[in-house]
Amino acid sequence: MTTMQPTDVSTVEDPIFEVRNTSVSFDMARGESNVLDSVSMDVRRGEVLGVVGESGSGKSMFASALLDAVVDPGMVTGDITFHPESGEPVEILGLPEDEIKRIRWEQIAMVFQGAMSSFNPTMTVGAHFEETLSVHDRPVEAGMDRARDLLSELYLEPAQVLGSYPHELSGGMKQRALIALALVLDPEVLVMDEPTAALDLLMQRNIIELIKQIAAERDLTIVFITHDLPLVANLADRLAVLYAFEFVEVGPAYEVLTGAKHPYTRALLNSTPNLDTPREEMQPIAGAAPDPVSVPDGCSYHPRCPLADERCVEEDPPLDADDPADDHAAACHYVERVREEIPLTLQEVRRHE
Amino acid sequence: MSERSSTFGPADESAADGSATQWEVYREWFDIAVLTPMRVAWSDWRTRLGSLIVLFYLVLAAVAWVSATDWGPTIVATPSSGQGPRLTGAFQDMAYPLGTNNLGESILSAIVHATPAMIQLIVAGAVFSTVLATLIGVVSGYKGGAVDRVLTTVTDIAMTLPGLPLIILLAAILEPRNPAVIGIILTINAWAGLARAIRSQVLSLRDDSYVEASRVMGAPVSRILKDDIVPNVMPFVLINFVNSARGVIFGSVALYFLGILPSSNPNWGIMLNSAYTSGAIYSLDVLHWLLIPMFAIILLSFGLVLFAQGTEKLFNPRIRARHAESIEDDTAPYQE
Amino acid sequence: MYALKRVGQAAVTLLSVITITFALIRALPGGPGDAIRAQVMQSGGSSNVDMTQLNALVESYTNVDPSTPLYVQYWDYVTSILQGDLGQSIWYGRPVSEIIVQALPWTVLLLTIAILLTFAIGIVLGAAMAYAEGTDFDVGSTVVSMLLNSVPYYIAAILLVYFLSIQFGVFPQSGNVSSGLEPSLSLSYVGDVLYHAVLPVASLVITGFGGTAITMRGNAIQEIGEDYIRVAHLRGVPGRRIAVRYVGRNAILPMYTQFMISVGFMFGGSVILEQIFAYPGLGYYLLEAISTRDYPLMMGGFLVIAVAVMICVLIADLTYSRIDPRISDDDAREAY
Repeated sequence: MTTMQPTDVSTVEDPIFEVRNTSVSFDMARGESNVLDSVSMDVRRGEVLGVVGESGSGKSMFASALLDAVVDPGMVTGDITFHPESGEPVEILGLPEDEIKRIRWEQIAMVFQGAMSSFNPTMTVGAHFEETLSVHDRPVEAGMDRARDLLSELYLEPAQVLGSYPHELSGGMKQRALIALALVLDPEVLVMDEPTAALDLLMQRNIIELIKQIAAERDLTIVFITHDLPLVANLADRLAVLYAFEFVEVGPAYEVLTGAKHPYTRALLNSTPNLDTPREEMQPIAGAAPDPVSVPDGCSYHPRCPLADERCVEEDPPLDADDPADDHAAACHYVERVREEIPLTLQEVRRHE
Repeated sequence: MSERSSTFGPADESAADGSATQWEVYREWFDIAVLTPMRVAWSDWRTRLGSLIVLFYLVLAAVAWVSATDWGPTIVATPSSGQGPRLTGAFQDMAYPLGTNNLGESILSAIVHATPAMIQLIVAGAVFSTVLATLIGVVSGYKGGAVDRVLTTVTDIAMTLPGLPLIILLAAILEPRNPAVIGIILTINAWAGLARAIRSQVLSLRDDSYVEASRVMGAPVSRILKDDIVPNVMPFVLINFVNSARGVIFGSVALYFLGILPSSNPNWGIMLNSAYTSGAIYSLDVLHWLLIPMFAIILLSFGLVLFAQGTEKLFNPRIRARHAESIEDDTAPYQE
Repeated sequence: MYALKRVGQAAVTLLSVITITFALIRALPGGPGDAIRAQVMQSGGSSNVDMTQLNALVESYTNVDPSTPLYVQYWDYVTSILQGDLGQSIWYGRPVSEIIVQALPWTVLLLTIAILLTFAIGIVLGAAMAYAEGTDFDVGSTVVSMLLNSVPYYIAAILLVYFLSIQFGVFPQSGNVSSGLEPSLSLSYVGDVLYHAVLPVASLVITGFGGTAITMRGNAIQEIGEDYIRVAHLRGVPGRRIAVRYVGRNAILPMYTQFMISVGFMFGGSVILEQIFAYPGLGYYLLEAISTRDYPLMMGGFLVIAVAVMICVLIADLTYSRIDPRISDDDAREAY
């Protein structure tokens, strides 16, 4: 299957990440499976990039690849260039173990989807902070002061949280403590993989607000991975949509939300449950997400796409914009027809208000 | 956890629609609690090999039983002194393939004819300890409160009692002859560990939503225990049945070896004892007399260990292949 | 608070054990009263023994005067035991407590070494197997562990005696120390003691570590798959520290119940083991007492073994609540 040609020039100004032709594959009994299929994406310094996709679209793999932290026996290939604030650009993939260790958490930190179980149950939360500081040769005293500041900023009682064992904290507290732990070494990038998945709705919104504040205060770049489009809608500066292990659309958050160019993104917007949406107007996406071992030929979305024709079966559309100056791109042959033929129900509702 | 809930879940449909006969209800229960786990367990080589070994001993017992009856063919002669020449080595005379002892008894005969009593012992002991343990564990875990505190204290005391010395004392004082009684004495406090484990299983089960639901709907405790709790701890109980069977083997052979139980019953431990006390240990020529009963004991308990290990991963969430998880990393969490 | 509760529970256990031994002495036919009477009659040669004299004799041996009401007997029995008076050995003609004080350290020595080695080897091997999951090393070690776990320790003891002391003469066959050596802290004395302990300890360790290793392997495999291990790697925590502080610690903690059961099991096992090696520990005297129907020594030996196990369990419990922060969760369960 052919995918888009990599551009040597970055698509964004001042990129902090340049991901090129990056794939993640697993050898499974049923055959090799590509759970990330030769994707390219740039992350701008200081932005919040929302990466949206269904379960099993490869979004966690994208997150892990940014830190070269794909779990065994997964194989990552491609180029991921990291541009630190100061110093030379670094090629993340294939970096020797001791060097990647220095980049992880010091410059690129990660908050996992398994936040509830991200702490060692037999160590106090404080011990995790101290341990992190000391293995990275940071002064522990000053670091712990910083940790206390971070915790108070996240509306936690520092002394109480640091002295507690993980099981003594609620889910939301653990989640915020984990964010503080991710930020304790003052990284430039924070990769968050479904950080709020296990929390209730109210707590999710609260944490998003906190993340927004912290990102703004610290010039933090955030890559926020989620299946929940409305959740990132007011957090992300840009949105990238993953379908079947490839990016199908990328653009400024507002444009993607209001003028999605890819049939999948539009279907996703229409299927999203929202308090404002009348139940009868909600449209689940027909069909099933493709299996990583046998991704459909041509445009991988064609079996579920109402616009699909011969061309879509044979030819894989590249992810680019009609106009090179446009920063909103979609991988679809029929971008110009999408708007007419797949109306957005959410927009209708908004117009009513 | 997903594997477990789908395999042993509480989906008791025929019971729910009310039209099923009692027989069907029991068959359904049996299917969920016994057959399905067994079918899954069979896919493991350890379970298969273990079952074959255990089956082999059951065949031996059947052979001994048939040989000892008046009507059946004598496949393996009952052991008697002067049956053959004294102290024939193993694999030397086809009439006594495993050799003979100092009285001229065929060792093969002695091994085979000790099997039925051994199996009676094992079944009696294992049934006693698992039934008692399940009863105490389920009640104490489910009821909680004062009942739980009393039963837990009793269990803890039983667990602290040194098993073998207590068994030896009881055996020495009671001098039991009935294999079933011996089996029960051998597991006199073996139930405690299992009861404790079942209690903690029940503790986590009783907070599960479907049990909660039954309770809220006003189902009587006995029904909740029978329909919701017991089927779910059943696989666990089965494995421990096998473990306590191994305990009975070790204990009974030990008591016979020490000469504490009356030697009128045939047992591999008595063979060990007579070989050991007759000085088989000092001579290389008659080593078979000592080694063959040892082999019989070890093989049977190895069969039981294999069986238990092969089935353990079925229900033990601690034993899960990590590879299976990592690949589904991206898809799993939101579907649970 | 927890410690207080635990100590209280231990006291209840102690009282229960004393009650059990009392019940055994009192209630069982052919108990000590009859045995002593029979002995006196034998030595006296006639039936004109004074009943009061006989009762006094029974009391001097067992601390219980059969002519007093049951509750007085019980009270006398409990108070004298709590004062450390376990009665008089009929066979040895010495106070039971004296014999026990002499024997106990030897048993404690054997078992402490055996338990520490069993768990140390089992835990290290199990962790290594978990890290090498699926390799030939893992599969091979699992099979070997299961096989060794199927061997009763007394069979291992007999085989070790056969090969290493009788055939090759590497280790002494019996005893706790070479005769003629004066007890001292000298290198030669301590060395000799350890030399004599090798085979008994090895029998327990060889047959015991397999079970520990298999459990550890299962626990560690699950820990390795946990999210916090992955996060720790990303945070740059060195692999060695993760193996010890994260995987090791969290995998070992749930094995605590198994450890408790092992302590009781090994103390019980000392009865057979010390018999095979003629090792003058507690178990050895207990079995001697049983074969000579020396009831005071029998009950005293049993009581002390039970108390020893109880103390081990208590220590384990109290330390466990200190090292596992989650322990207090378990108690906060409401009743239904």
